[in-house]
Amino acid sequence: MTHQDFASQSGNGINATAAMMAADSPILELKGLEKQYFGTHALKPTDLAFKSGEIHAIVGENGAGKSTLIKLLTGVIPRTGGNVYWRGEPVALGTPVEAIKHGINAVHQEVVLCPHLSVAANIFLGEEHQRFGLLRHRNMVREAQKILDDLGFDLPAHAMLGDLTIGQQQLIATARAATRGARFLIFDEPTAYLTRKEGMQLFALIRRMQASGVTIVYISHRMEEVFELADRVSVLRDGTLVGTRDIADTNENELIAMMINRSIEQIYHKDSFELGKTILETRNLSGKGFENISLTVREGEVVGLYGLIGAGRSEFVTTVFGRHPKSSGTVLWQGEEVNIRREKDAIKLGIALAPESRRDQGLCLSLPVSLNLNLPVYSRLSHGGLISKTEESSQADRQIADLRIKTSTRSASAASLSGGNQQKIVIGKWLNHGAKLFIFDEPTVGVDVGTKAEIYRLFSALLSQGAGIILISSYLPEVYELADTLHVFRRGEMVATHQFKSASHEDILTRALGSAPANPISSGES
Amino acid sequence: MSVDVKEPVISPKKRYNILFGLTLLALLLVLWLILGLSTTTFWTTNNIANLLRQGAMIAILAVGQTFVIITGGIDLSVGAIAGFASTIVALLLANGFPIWAAVLITLGIGLGIGLFHGFGIVKMGLPPFIITLATLTSLRGIGLLITNGATISINNDDFTNFSRNDFLAVPNLFWMVILVGIPAYILLQHTRWGRYLFSVGSNAEASRLSGVNVNRTIYLAYTLSAVCASFVGILLATRIGVGNPTQAEGWELQAIASSVIGGTSLFGAVGSVQGPLLGAFILATINNGANLLNVNSFWQRVITGVLIIVIVYFDQLRRRRK
Repeated sequence: MTHQDFASQSGNGINATAAMMAADSPILELKGLEKQYFGTHALKPTDLAFKSGEIHAIVGENGAGKSTLIKLLTGVIPRTGGNVYWRGEPVALGTPVEAIKHGINAVHQEVVLCPHLSVAANIFLGEEHQRFGLLRHRNMVREAQKILDDLGFDLPAHAMLGDLTIGQQQLIATARAATRGARFLIFDEPTAYLTRKEGMQLFALIRRMQASGVTIVYISHRMEEVFELADRVSVLRDGTLVGTRDIADTNENELIAMMINRSIEQIYHKDSFELGKTILETRNLSGKGFENISLTVREGEVVGLYGLIGAGRSEFVTTVFGRHPKSSGTVLWQGEEVNIRREKDAIKLGIALAPESRRDQGLCLSLPVSLNLNLPVYSRLSHGGLISKTEESSQADRQIADLRIKTSTRSASAASLSGGNQQKIVIGKWLNHGAKLFIFDEPTVGVDVGTKAEIYRLFSALLSQGAGIILISSYLPEVYELADTLHVFRRGEMVATHQFKSASHEDILTRALGSAPANPISSGES
Repeated sequence: MSVDVKEPVISPKKRYNILFGLTLLALLLVLWLILGLSTTTFWTTNNIANLLRQGAMIAILAVGQTFVIITGGIDLSVGAIAGFASTIVALLLANGFPIWAAVLITLGIGLGIGLFHGFGIVKMGLPPFIITLATLTSLRGIGLLITNGATISINNDDFTNFSRNDFLAVPNLFWMVILVGIPAYILLQHTRWGRYLFSVGSNAEASRLSGVNVNRTIYLAYTLSAVCASFVGILLATRIGVGNPTQAEGWELQAIASSVIGGTSLFGAVGSVQGPLLGAFILATINNGANLLNVNSFWQRVITGVLIIVIVYFDQLRRRRK
């Protein structure tokens, strides 16, 4: 299909010539834009010009000011200084409605659509097709299906949104923005929860939108995506714009140095420890989503589980943890067969699980940091049925200090912390507990480089005390650099096992993807 | 271990909670002052004792209800349980049971109802609203079936005198609020089960993965609520001297209203014991004052509704600003 086809689908009729018309003149320009909260700068006065039709990546650690910038541009929060020019005209951007009216839209990491409505209803939400005040259901489903087909998404428009994977929902959210005449579209870490295939579909969609003249701002922690997608990249650090580079003139090391003044070797810091006794062994363990998994974890060892999302890794570890029942096979704990029937059994043995989703599984967001940190150990903090408040506070303070969790007080709600600091709580609550086996499921998703490095250093500390670690990650460099033993999962089975760095990235990836390589959708621009 | 986290003596959240409690207290005192000035009958020993008795029962219901709401649930059955319990205790006394036995059996029945609610939610997967709504309607029916629609009168003076008597010049019924309130406060603020009620209300899955026995926590909340309600049923029986399954109609809504006025969030994970107690006495004062001022009793209901909106709105304003 051509741009024109795509453009005709979109509400505002994006004109393909727009891209050529003003390739160099900025579509959106910031002059001295700043945001202060009670005297502290979340964003220091910033000058930045977005060229019309470019893909502009923005990178930086958590707290560097990326979210503040997005919120300012989408009218979610008011600025405290400076000016914004939209096609040369000063604009207020005081409300989200005004931003959308100009064509400024954002696609967020966590999908904000209605899970109980159909895909078609979501795409047309707020702009329903009506006749005589009645909805034209069939018309909307047909239109939506056409949009999905054109974008190469193999999805039925009448499906319930909530029945789709997070990745598919993300694609729908993007398609929705695309059909609404977005001229300036901000992606906030869109691939955090996507599989590789979904990620590639999203990239193809982004490129297609760019070709039709939409300016894209792309925020991500994943460097390889930035280099794959962006034309230019801006780096933020501590609320300051450190610099903007053409993607051709820079490299990953330079960007990371700009973000943190630290090199990549220092991030994946790995100490080797002598491997001790076997802590955990599974023999032909099967359950919902995985089959015949046999592996061991020894003292001082990091066992990496690599695979695509949905490969059965999370199901395997949550079953070991007692969240789901196993269907067959055995689990041995320090040489003895154990029957872990619920989470409590696993915790009692000394297994700790930092789950995949902080929001849904890891934290009580509305409750204090100290409660979250102490949740697994309250039975130990109670004496004669009563909790010792001093012990409760000192335990929490110790973790806050040791892990350098940035929070105003221990009684601040977990929701008020940044993503990286929330992740530290999810991990930190098990440190008080003193477990022997730590399971980390995607511990660094949505976490900035600095916090990543801290989390990896924490791994070393745990290993040095004789603990074992199971590390699940969809980010290959992470497991590759850190795992002593790396198991590759595909479709619920363990398809390969490698010792530390004994295989190449390509080998591992091929194993994870299976014999048939992933099939990216054609970009449609040929 | 060096700790470089600065913890103010009173955290902002705690300060807000204290402020909120004081505001409720001030509201109560202002109401009392206004009523004292505008009527001659308000500040009489008789009326104040009456007010405390009226408020006491809703207050105890509200405390039980609050446990449930903190877990993110709701208990619609407390009024029906109270009515049912008044019938049971009256029947037992009429059949010659000693008071202590009648009271214990009635509380035991309340416990059973609470366990049933827990079972329905945890094992059958029913929403709290549904299971307790079912109990609300069927308990009244069961009570009517048992009594055949008759009212059971209580001839045991020791039992009925309890609500009329004072201790240290304060009505016995009000002492019951303290008897329930103090352990409830300790449970909620100073035990791990109190922490678990909040954590389950905030995020049940995260709690489960942290080793919290979520099911047991839910059983606990509904059992406490039902036991409080059956206790209130007993107090109600002492106060009016009869047992009737249709009594205490609509009290579940007054209990929920008291809890909400007292700062409990219907979304769960926010609540206290002292708030709902104050909320219950504010409602009782409004009803009492309206009676004294000869305000049409229909208006009392309207005023209660407006008050709920105003107080919860102010609380919302605070949250939104954060």
